[in-house]
Amino acid sequence: MIIRIDEYSDVPIYMQIRNQIVMGISSGELKGGEQLPTVRALALEIGINTMTVSKTYQLLKQEGYIMTDRKNGARVRENIAQSGVLSGENKTELRRIVSEARLSGVSKEELKKLIDEFY
Amino acid sequence: MTWIIKLILFVCIVPTALIMFAIAFPSNPGKKKMIFGVRDNPKFHEGDAAKRVKEITTSCRKAALIITILVCLISVILLILPANGMTLLLWVLLIFAELILIAVPFGKGNIELKNLKKELGITKTGVVYTDLTSTNTVHSLKLPWIILPNAVALAGTIFAILTDFGVIKIVEKPACEKYALTMMSLSFLSIGIMFVPIAILMDNTRNMVISRDSNINANYNRAKKKTWADLTIAFSWVNALFLTGYSILMMFINNDAVILCGILAYTLLIMAVVVIGAVNQKAVEKRYERDTDLELQDDDDKWIFGMFYYNKNDTRLNVEKRFGYGATINIAHPAGKVITVITALLLLGSVILLIYFAATGQLNDLETGVNVPFK
Repeated sequence: MIIRIDEYSDVPIYMQIRNQIVMGISSGELKGGEQLPTVRALALEIGINTMTVSKTYQLLKQEGYIMTDRKNGARVRENIAQSGVLSGENKTELRRIVSEARLSGVSKEELKKLIDEFY
Repeated sequence: MTWIIKLILFVCIVPTALIMFAIAFPSNPGKKKMIFGVRDNPKFHEGDAAKRVKEITTSCRKAALIITILVCLISVILLILPANGMTLLLWVLLIFAELILIAVPFGKGNIELKNLKKELGITKTGVVYTDLTSTNTVHSLKLPWIILPNAVALAGTIFAILTDFGVIKIVEKPACEKYALTMMSLSFLSIGIMFVPIAILMDNTRNMVISRDSNINANYNRAKKKTWADLTIAFSWVNALFLTGYSILMMFINNDAVILCGILAYTLLIMAVVVIGAVNQKAVEKRYERDTDLELQDDDDKWIFGMFYYNKNDTRLNVEKRFGYGATINIAHPAGKVITVITALLLLGSVILLIYFAATGQLNDLETGVNVPFK
């Protein structure tokens, strides 16, 4: 799975990595049980500080997307807990996206098509 | 003895100048991935931009050609001049002058192309692609394969030391000068040992992402790293076998012509290994060109004059070279800064020392044999 980091983006690097891993899990590019690179290896590969990668993995672990242990490193969870509810933060973000799309003249049908595509 | 050194210098400098010109200033730059260390872009081949690029590449190539011809001519003149300390000094200064002067048109071309990129609005810096699947899993170097030739070289060195100290006696008295076997063996051994960390570093360079298909990325990086592993292993074997063979030869023969032939053979073998490595690398790049479906990262601004990598946001110490073959260091890295300063001081110091020796006439002592060690 390819991840793209933009050093000059307003989104912090750890969030960029986190977002793309979540998208990868959702799309099936990262399968349940799949091994993720070690903190050190990924930091070296991207050319960033190990603390940044560590922060990403901690966040993903807290959110229940991955599990980590000293022996096996980081792995994608086989069964990700499903609350069935969108978090408050995500709702706000979705509202923002829908508002911007509406202001740009994107129709509801087009937006629904995109959601279908991404879902 | 100095005529041998002059001949060796001539054989090293002239082909190097020609190869550097051919690689850095190709006749068809539009077909290369990089032009003067700037990544090629489709907009470079459209309309007025194409004319500008052609003007830049033609003028820089012309300047580089003049410099290369001058270097070759001066080499011929120095070869003919009488062998003395001043001539040796001029040879060394010629080597440094060649490296610095040839970099000028290259750097100029680099700056002009970067400016053109900004004018065309095609600068896209700061984007890095990483393939999670192949992170830290793509390696080609098998450590025993590079340790073995160095073990052979070490055995040869121990044999040379024991011979020099009279512990082992193959002949009653070796033909070469006292401790010459030890000095020669240690020199070759140190070169071989130096290649072990270099081989490991090259095997651990960042994996390039050329495709959205992780298998293609893994195969490409594995193939590329294999060419580097093969190069360092071949180099280590040439080193080890030459050390052993030459040591045995030097015990029986101490002749200027033999020494010259030996050093020339070593130089040619090493050059052959490097050329084969570069050809293999080029073959890999060509093979995977058609599989490249990803916009490669644009880090042109991180390369000063297209030659020196400076990126404070990159924690890696070594990175793949922009052009040519091999890797270079990130000058922004703390260790990179130290290595750069030490290298610069060593180079400058050696030139200053040589000028001092030439000015005080000590370089001429090499010709007359006065104060030559181990005589």
